[in-house]
Amino acid sequence: MKIEFTAEQNALRQEFRRYFENMMNPELKAECDEALGEGGGPLWREALRQMGRDGMIGIGWPKELGGRGLSPIEQFIFVEEVMRCGYPFPFLTTESVGPQLAEFGNEWQKKEIVPKILAGECLIAIGYSEPGSGTDLASIKTTAVRDGDEWVINGQKMWTSLAHFSDYVWLACRTDPNAAKPHKGISMFMVPTSDPGWSCSPVVTLGGVRTNATYYDNIRVPQHAMVGEENAGWKLVTSQLNRERLSLVNFGPTAELFNSTVRWAQQSELPSGEKLIDVSWVQMNLAKVRAGVEALKLLCYKQAWAMTEGNLEMADASAAKVYGSEFFIETYRLLGEVLGQAALVNRRTEGADPLASRIERLYRTASIITFGGGTNEIQRDIISAAGLWMPRASR
Amino acid sequence: MDFGFSEQQRDVQNLAREILSEQVTVEKLAQYDQYKAERFDRELWAQLSQAGLLGVAIDEQYGGMGFGFFELALLVEEAGRTIAPLPLISHLVSAALPIQQFANAEQKQRWLPGAANGEFLLTAALQEGFHSEAAAPKLSRAEADGNGLRISGEKFAVPFAKQAERILLAVQEGEGVTVVLLDPKAEGVRLQAVEATQYEPQYHLQFDQVWVAAEDILVRGEGAAAMQWIAERSRAAVCAHQLGAADKAMRMTASYTAERQQFGVPIATFQAVGHRAANCFIDVECLRLNTYQAVSLLDANQAASTEVQIAKIWAGDVGHRVSYAAQHLHGGMGIDRDYPLWRYCTWLRHNEMVLGNSAEGLASLGASIADGQAFCR
Repeated sequence: MKIEFTAEQNALRQEFRRYFENMMNPELKAECDEALGEGGGPLWREALRQMGRDGMIGIGWPKELGGRGLSPIEQFIFVEEVMRCGYPFPFLTTESVGPQLAEFGNEWQKKEIVPKILAGECLIAIGYSEPGSGTDLASIKTTAVRDGDEWVINGQKMWTSLAHFSDYVWLACRTDPNAAKPHKGISMFMVPTSDPGWSCSPVVTLGGVRTNATYYDNIRVPQHAMVGEENAGWKLVTSQLNRERLSLVNFGPTAELFNSTVRWAQQSELPSGEKLIDVSWVQMNLAKVRAGVEALKLLCYKQAWAMTEGNLEMADASAAKVYGSEFFIETYRLLGEVLGQAALVNRRTEGADPLASRIERLYRTASIITFGGGTNEIQRDIISAAGLWMPRASR
Repeated sequence: MDFGFSEQQRDVQNLAREILSEQVTVEKLAQYDQYKAERFDRELWAQLSQAGLLGVAIDEQYGGMGFGFFELALLVEEAGRTIAPLPLISHLVSAALPIQQFANAEQKQRWLPGAANGEFLLTAALQEGFHSEAAAPKLSRAEADGNGLRISGEKFAVPFAKQAERILLAVQEGEGVTVVLLDPKAEGVRLQAVEATQYEPQYHLQFDQVWVAAEDILVRGEGAAAMQWIAERSRAAVCAHQLGAADKAMRMTASYTAERQQFGVPIATFQAVGHRAANCFIDVECLRLNTYQAVSLLDANQAASTEVQIAKIWAGDVGHRVSYAAQHLHGGMGIDRDYPLWRYCTWLRHNEMVLGNSAEGLASLGASIADGQAFCR
């Protein structure tokens, strides 16, 4: 048992930190701030291409697929550092869908799409949820029907985040309506957003972040747009979600937020002249966050270690997701209380405190990952079944 | 980064688990309920001694295995899992380890071999009434008397004080802190038996002008750091005990709800039940990781004040939450004294409160944060 990074891993962290500090010039930072952490602007795109040229995309992919072959622990360090710098890195494309295409994709996908992902020139959105299908994802109704050498796609997806500036949607479609079980009739397609039958309309969320409803109207794609085998898409969906879940919960940004709030409270004086940090309830709030962050750190590190060792337990992965997503909300609340009314002031206000206005926004975005990436109820079902061997009700 | 155990650690864990799970039965535990008998299984103690486990962290030259604090904490965790009637923390962690760390050669020779083979008991008095800061005793003082000391004061709820050969405790001497080994049979010592919630033998200790010979002085004048050292290891050991007990109470609950049927199905299949158990799983995992982190830092003699403090806060909160979730999900069985859960609940409560509860821990952590001593790294 040794809970610290090796000298090489610390050196790698320094390398990443220097790289991103250098990359995040004030103009890029301003553009990213304006995009509320989702990217998509011209400077953001140029930075992504530069990262492609510098070999900073696909760092966890095997070397033979064009990546850097870093272990999950090293990828975890990468994620922490890129999040620390504030660049909205397109993880879904590069860490979640990309490696699956590189591994399971056909020749066309490997030649046309994979190199562009690694070059920072191709962005992919995820198309799973529909108006009537969320947690019960296998019930999707969007169809792909074979017509000669082509597939014809019709339907609607919800919450297709980043789709408005993506090149493709990684789309789950029903290809066998008569399959014995619903999840056995699903196939995956790479659908180009440039197709005239594709359209999207914005959905603005509480946190200010845009997501989309996307529409698929008689889109014809060739056979090579299908990923993997016909009616074998479910495995791709679940393994993509597993990969996604692991990058949802991170330690670095929360630790940084805690440290900044402590410094803020050390420097702030109440009208009475008393230092904010000396107020007993302020210390209590900070201590609660500190104790919780330590657990978050250990859950994240253990997960990265277990992945590197190849022995990640399902219940542990779900526990980290539930704990992290719910702790973030609690953290924003407790730190927001320390910051007081300033934590209600939007960043666009002249003279708004940068730290407090960050909390103002984070508090509005925090619920996304308690239900996103596999809702916490389902995660708790997994924990009680896989971690405690409790029988589960059939659904 | 390594969250795994070494082969040596696995060996200790397996050996301890094997002996304790076999020997600590519900029937045996029932003998000690309500102080019907002294809660100390001396046969089991001898068995652990024969297996070498009492000396797991004592140097080989004194008859121990010469392993570290981590291995000792794994033994304590197994004792928590079975709530074994054994004074492992008070004897080994709070007394024998400090003697090994701070005593002179003669003192080590006198106390360690007997501690490792279970020939006699040692203990420590780390709490004074409401005051749980072991490094700064407020109610106990010493005056020099020849080459020894005269000490007066009081300590609260000392485990196995009457059964022990010596009680390690701290007294103020002038501006400094002195650590001594007090003979509970010495003249001027008064022990008042306490009936504690979990039935451990405990005593309020008072000492009035008690003579302590030079050979029983462990650290003279500069004992605050030593007491800090002792308190941190004792706290971490309580966390390990809590981990074992909470994990067992949770698993007992999972098994019970998988068997218990209502409306024709196991109650574990109700999401409300499964989710409360899942919350326990997350809690216990947080306690586990924080405990192992604190223990491994202490094992490596690295600074661990913040990490121990945080682990103890988790031990308090998790113990409380798991205890009540387990009782609730068991329904009446959880509180029925013919079913084994309730004893775990009293130990979870004891471990929650002893050596600093969660509120005290948060206040103290908050003060370190304010001092700039507890930034995230």
